[in-house]
Amino acid sequence: MDDVQNSVLKIIGSLLEGWDRTGVTVDAGTTLHGEEGLGLDSLETAELSATLEDEFGSDPFSAGEMPETVGEIVAFYAAAA
Amino acid sequence: MTAEQPEPLPGRQRTVVVTGGSRGLGAGIVQSFLDSGDRVATCARSETDAVRAWSADPAYEGRFLFVGADIADREQTTRFVKEVVARWGSVDVLVNNAGVARDGLLALFSDDDADTVVDLNLKATFHVSKLVVRNMLAHGGGRIVNISSITGLTGYRGLTVYGATKAGLDGFTRALAREVGSRRITVNSIASGYLRTEMSHGLDEGQLGQIVRRTPAGRLGEPDDIARAVQFLVDDRNDWITGQTLVVDGGLTC
Repeated sequence: MDDVQNSVLKIIGSLLEGWDRTGVTVDAGTTLHGEEGLGLDSLETAELSATLEDEFGSDPFSAGEMPETVGEIVAFYAAAA
Repeated sequence: MTAEQPEPLPGRQRTVVVTGGSRGLGAGIVQSFLDSGDRVATCARSETDAVRAWSADPAYEGRFLFVGADIADREQTTRFVKEVVARWGSVDVLVNNAGVARDGLLALFSDDDADTVVDLNLKATFHVSKLVVRNMLAHGGGRIVNISSITGLTGYRGLTVYGATKAGLDGFTRALAREVGSRRITVNSIASGYLRTEMSHGLDEGQLGQIVRRTPAGRLGEPDDIARAVQFLVDDRNDWITGQTLVVDGGLTC
């Protein structure tokens, strides 16, 4: 669980860096969309989805789930393990 | 390496996916990328002599992959792209070449033929592009070229459905270019003129002769004519050309 969470946090951190969004604190409770969270737009969400699939071989968005928080992404992989 | 093919950039061997690369124009595009030193994967429903020759040629060992797959079948296409990624990690260039032509007046056109043309020329292209775009998003960019046709620009009697799918491809090109341009992915079309290949849009020799007479360049096209344009559009340096349809037709539509 911790390994998965660390991997997900690392992926999100790397993407945020690529989008020039530095200084953002991310944890399991961080929401993906909206101003109070990461504020991902549709293309950023697609990039996150594709990067997660590239790393783990599957991703919650393509599986039809629409996670709202980082923790829900982690839970998707924990449930599949 | 043939003299007219561009040299690859030093140290940069690209992974190229060409759909429908076993014969005709697709085979010419595959040969072009093999000549420029790239890794090339292609798929088709069955092997051809060209595929067997590439597979057996030691010069292409480790950088040519053929997967038997019907591109109109989503599961088979997914398996193909996954095999490419499993072998080479990422896709740098996608050439959506696979296509089918059925000719006939619309008033007499069968629904099955219409479905076949739309399923392969459009829906299959959407699916393989989605798979590859996701890979390109995860790996920092890429190049997509859709092989379109001047019949999508000018129309041609007897090719209504085929022409409509090619016009659709050009629209797909523009929309996708807008979607992914900020992620270093370019998307362009080549509107090919009439080629002397096995699939010259179902035209007979009389029609092809008439086309030649109306073509300023005075001949039908060859696969190399289109392959060179593809190489231009996917060149690493050409990252400011996107969302465009490049007409390569010997001047027929000028």
